[in-house]
Amino acid sequence: MRLFLCLLCCLPSIAQAASLQRASFDNGVQLVVEEDHASPVAMVQIWLKVGGRDEVPGKTGLAHVFEHMMFKGSKALKAGEHSKTISAMGGNDNAFTSTDFTAYFETVPAAKVKQVIGMEAERFAHLRLADEEFQKEIKVIMEERRMRTEDDPNSHMFEELSAAALRLHPYRNPVIGWMQDLQRLTIEDVRAFYQLHYIPGNVTVVVVGDVDFAAVKKQVARTFGSIKARPTPARFNPQEPAPLGAKRMDVHLPAKLPIMAMVIPVPVWQAGVNDKETAALSVATYALAGGRSALMQQQLVDQSRLAFSVDAGYDPFGMGLDLWYAYGALRDVKDVDAFQTAMWKLMTQLAQQPLTTEQLHTAQRNIVASEVFARDSLYLRAKRIGRMETVGIGADHFDDWLNAVRQVTAEDVQKVVKQYLQPRRATTGILYPESMQ
Amino acid sequence: MKHIITGLWLCLLTSTAVASPAIEEAKLDNGLRVLLTEAHHVPMVAMQLVLPAGSRFDPEEKGGTASLLAAMLGDHSAKHDHATWSAWLDSEAVKLGSGASKDTMALSLTVLREALPQGLNMLSEALLQPGWRTKRLTILQQDAIAAATKAQESAGTRAAEYTAHALYGSHPYGHRTGGSMASLHAINMTDLHQLYDAQCKPQGAVLAVSGDITMKELLPLLETKLHDWQGAPTTAAGTMIKATKRPVHTQHIVMPTTQMLVQFSRLGIARSDADFFPVLVLNHLLGGSGFGSILMEEVREKRGLVYGVYSYVMPLLARGPFVITLQTRADQADKAVQVVKEQLQNMAEGHIDANRLDKTKGNLTGGFAQRMDSNRERVGLIAMIGFYHLPLNYLQQWTKRIESVNLADVKRAAKHYLPPKQWNIVQLGPVGENK
Repeated sequence: MRLFLCLLCCLPSIAQAASLQRASFDNGVQLVVEEDHASPVAMVQIWLKVGGRDEVPGKTGLAHVFEHMMFKGSKALKAGEHSKTISAMGGNDNAFTSTDFTAYFETVPAAKVKQVIGMEAERFAHLRLADEEFQKEIKVIMEERRMRTEDDPNSHMFEELSAAALRLHPYRNPVIGWMQDLQRLTIEDVRAFYQLHYIPGNVTVVVVGDVDFAAVKKQVARTFGSIKARPTPARFNPQEPAPLGAKRMDVHLPAKLPIMAMVIPVPVWQAGVNDKETAALSVATYALAGGRSALMQQQLVDQSRLAFSVDAGYDPFGMGLDLWYAYGALRDVKDVDAFQTAMWKLMTQLAQQPLTTEQLHTAQRNIVASEVFARDSLYLRAKRIGRMETVGIGADHFDDWLNAVRQVTAEDVQKVVKQYLQPRRATTGILYPESMQ
Repeated sequence: MKHIITGLWLCLLTSTAVASPAIEEAKLDNGLRVLLTEAHHVPMVAMQLVLPAGSRFDPEEKGGTASLLAAMLGDHSAKHDHATWSAWLDSEAVKLGSGASKDTMALSLTVLREALPQGLNMLSEALLQPGWRTKRLTILQQDAIAAATKAQESAGTRAAEYTAHALYGSHPYGHRTGGSMASLHAINMTDLHQLYDAQCKPQGAVLAVSGDITMKELLPLLETKLHDWQGAPTTAAGTMIKATKRPVHTQHIVMPTTQMLVQFSRLGIARSDADFFPVLVLNHLLGGSGFGSILMEEVREKRGLVYGVYSYVMPLLARGPFVITLQTRADQADKAVQVVKEQLQNMAEGHIDANRLDKTKGNLTGGFAQRMDSNRERVGLIAMIGFYHLPLNYLQQWTKRIESVNLADVKRAAKHYLPPKQWNIVQLGPVGENK
């Protein structure tokens, strides 16, 4: 217990061992640097305030298509040359697109950071966007969709479930886009997206590793900082109407075993506004699914044997809302109703009976410990910073989040479970296996 | 207690000279090798205990035995049933993992620095005081069978099953490490006991550690916890049956998917192979380096046929697999296969660009620092060095050996390994008009 208390007291300094250094440039570009000289490498990440949520109807998948086009040539570099240059310097590069952001990243020997920032700024400002390249790349993206979604029954079911759960919020659309939209996108759509969203006011440069802040700042000023300023549109963030009752969706796909999943729209963290509520949702989710002794694992897998694998998840760092989820992988379709009943019985128990002190402390300690473990990776550290900046929370607030987790009480957990994790707010999806022959 | 410290060495990364963390070595009285790199920037410690008890020891028709033994060791102990064991680990935020690969079984531990003594209590209890509870074996076995059934939905799983059998037949590498539905069903408690008694011994095992700790602090803790662990494995860690060439096959497995998964395979290299470095570079050039590789350029960048195409070599005690995998819309599969075969043929005939080879080598040597970026990556690398008895300055040598691979070496390796007719090909996806 002494160790536990000590850990909670030391919590902020453990989680954010090194301080962040910042700079803002006149055109709106932001820079956040965390120096770490433990190893001679650095992670460079370029974050954009644009993602799947910023697409208009009929153009889903465009933010992700655009991410691919960033590798297809600029004024200075031919198609594919960016990655080849990074590769030859002993680095690797890639990018990811989510509903809320797009980010491009390179892990490189620290001595190459200056060159990499220059390359990123050049392609950002002078992308070529040739139709010939687009025609090849859109085929690649359709293959990506087939691989990730069409041929994976679990992913396919979750895609349907998000679409069924939300009426208005853009989280209802898959980031990779509906195939029907991908088939109709044109290079003109891509160029219009570039003009609208790839502007300096949407850029945050994040560098973590063996670098000197002053040198990085100078290079960002010379490159990203010198791009002409343009008006920055507000993010698309519609209010999802409250659920009016339970929804259920059946999906029939070739598969071997059924799964059941439920999603519920819940609030995300707004720093200083709903800290207690969202931190309590995090603790509740950990208690349900977070460790070896999690309630779902104990009751639904080990004791009742209704499922062979379970999980639940909550992401407090979204924009507007999060689709909280829980699922179970079942051995037999005949267990579907029993699993659903047992799952809600467990949630009722969580609403009616307070967590024991031990359960509460275990959840808090593990949430904090996972942040310490995440600091072991440059990639995760930079990602945490970039994400908090891009969704509007601010990376400097991260300690506030850990403090909020520390202050959650058992009553707080009961309250949020009662308020949000209710059957009448849930959309439940069931994957019914069809023959794979 | 023997305690040797190898000095700090310097590695050349492309044109930049940087220091790499030293690996310190010690040996416990029971023969266990301990390898440590210190890293004091995050208050945590990661470790991996590697034992010569991988799936190569699975009894015939009982594939998955080593994996199931690993699951049992991590699940409970003689002193703690599953529920109390789980609550204990969670209360200290201790991450205890266990699993098997073809050559080895590993127990891994990730802990906050403050929780290290408790973490070592848990690791040693899992290793030295197994619970062997029948009820838990039944549960773990049922869940493993269900997971194996679910995994049949994936073309990747089925391709891996096919490839293991095609390359190795009845050789100990001839099945997937996790086992199949039928083989998992056949395993009983006696199988687990036998593997444990025969192979889970300190001599030949390696404990790799990285994190906020010194050898001076670590060794007394280990001696206390692992003192009672004694003995040598029945089959010494480095002993292995040779893998021999088998007839080449082409196969189509029908699946109701929109894509065809195509997997090429042949025998690759053993850890001890004289061709080790040329083949490593050859694979990196062919399909092992993502966007820098020839297959990615030809199949994806030029033709838009796939999202991903990659190759890998897995050096093991015996010759490990050399594999190429791609996924493409089913009606394009023949075209994609043709492109891969042409590239293999082309390289086998010696058409390899010297400039491109230099860039590939630059990517391999320069990427070294990233592989040492985190404690958890470091323990994997150090454990590999320890288990395969590579020299402690292996990483420095590795960079030099990669740099010394020349065009003639890679052409020779390509001529030997890449002729298309030497590769098995399995396609998984629709047939006929569904294609």
